[in-house]
Amino acid sequence: MTFEEMAVPLLSPLYTYARWLTSDAHEAEDLVQETYLKGLRGFKSFTPGTNFRAWMYRILRNTFLTSRSGLKAQMSIDDDPDRFERLPVETTPESLLFVRYDVERLRAAINALPLPFREALLLVDIEEMPYRDVAETLAIPIGTVTSRVMRARKKLREAMQ
Amino acid sequence: MNHLSAEDVARIADGESQDDSHLRECAICASAVLSEIRLKRAVREAMPRYEFPRTRFSPSGRAKARPTWLVAAAAAAVIAIVGIALFYMRGNSANELVDMHATLLASPNAVDVLSTDKHTVKPWFEGRVPFAVPVPELQPPFHLVGGRVVYWHQQPGAYLLIAKGAHRISVFIFRDELRAIPARDVTTEVWRENGLTFVAIADVPRQDLDALRRFF
Repeated sequence: MTFEEMAVPLLSPLYTYARWLTSDAHEAEDLVQETYLKGLRGFKSFTPGTNFRAWMYRILRNTFLTSRSGLKAQMSIDDDPDRFERLPVETTPESLLFVRYDVERLRAAINALPLPFREALLLVDIEEMPYRDVAETLAIPIGTVTSRVMRARKKLREAMQ
Repeated sequence: MNHLSAEDVARIADGESQDDSHLRECAICASAVLSEIRLKRAVREAMPRYEFPRTRFSPSGRAKARPTWLVAAAAAAVIAIVGIALFYMRGNSANELVDMHATLLASPNAVDVLSTDKHTVKPWFEGRVPFAVPVPELQPPFHLVGGRVVYWHQQPGAYLLIAKGAHRISVFIFRDELRAIPARDVTTEVWRENGLTFVAIADVPRQDLDALRRFF
């Protein structure tokens, strides 16, 4: 398949991801455009049969992280998976089960998450990416994906209380 | 009873683990997974998905629309090579087609009809050029991108943009006869068929243009 055939269906998903990262429509458009230019130029280095979607997401993310706003958004977080491996499950299920999420508050809470948590959560929950693909996109171990997703949800619950 | 870890709950809710045997025996963990799924759903509802702005697309593009800047991006890849080629080319009016090839690929609107479907592109030319434009049924690795009308020596002609991977091949079709185009660093192929002249120009090996020619 050609680059265009593989890349064009990813336009809106990548744009959505760019909007999450940048929180700015114009910056997101530029980010997607630059991603496609880089993807096109580097397509010869892409190995057919490997994960093209994760490859494109990774290009977009790396492009963002080296941009001015990306550098600002980067945060040093402690997400060593070993430290969070056996956190106990919440034992007050009734408070969790019956909570009604206020959409505006939840959106604000998601946007307030540190970038590494936010992107892992959104790639899993909205893009429905398998952890393996998220790991490949974010260049982190699968265990770190799990802990970031879990901690993101924990922070959301705390914010919604 | 030992409960699942928070990570196990996340894995089950995210479909990463199929082992739900514990959930049948433990109401606490089952409700934790349910809570996780509810939160996932709420996140999905709270966060909008965005469509890439249509203004970035060619107005003629519909279901199979391709962003025009993507075509322009392809032009960037070949424009330098074409530039070098132009430097070395001898004075031959046919070289204007190489100029046109570079100009069109550098344009954000390289084609006026943007479609991979020959049944869309071929009728589009009707009434626009004074001959029936042969738009072939291409097979991979070649893919039709679209077409437009071009003028060369005051004569209308058809222009087909064809993709092969990241490369873009321009095929000009005229009634006038044309000599071979001497060009360095770009490959050109000129042939006559059914009273028409075909000129293919691209930065691809000659065998690619030979292969493409067989479709016409």
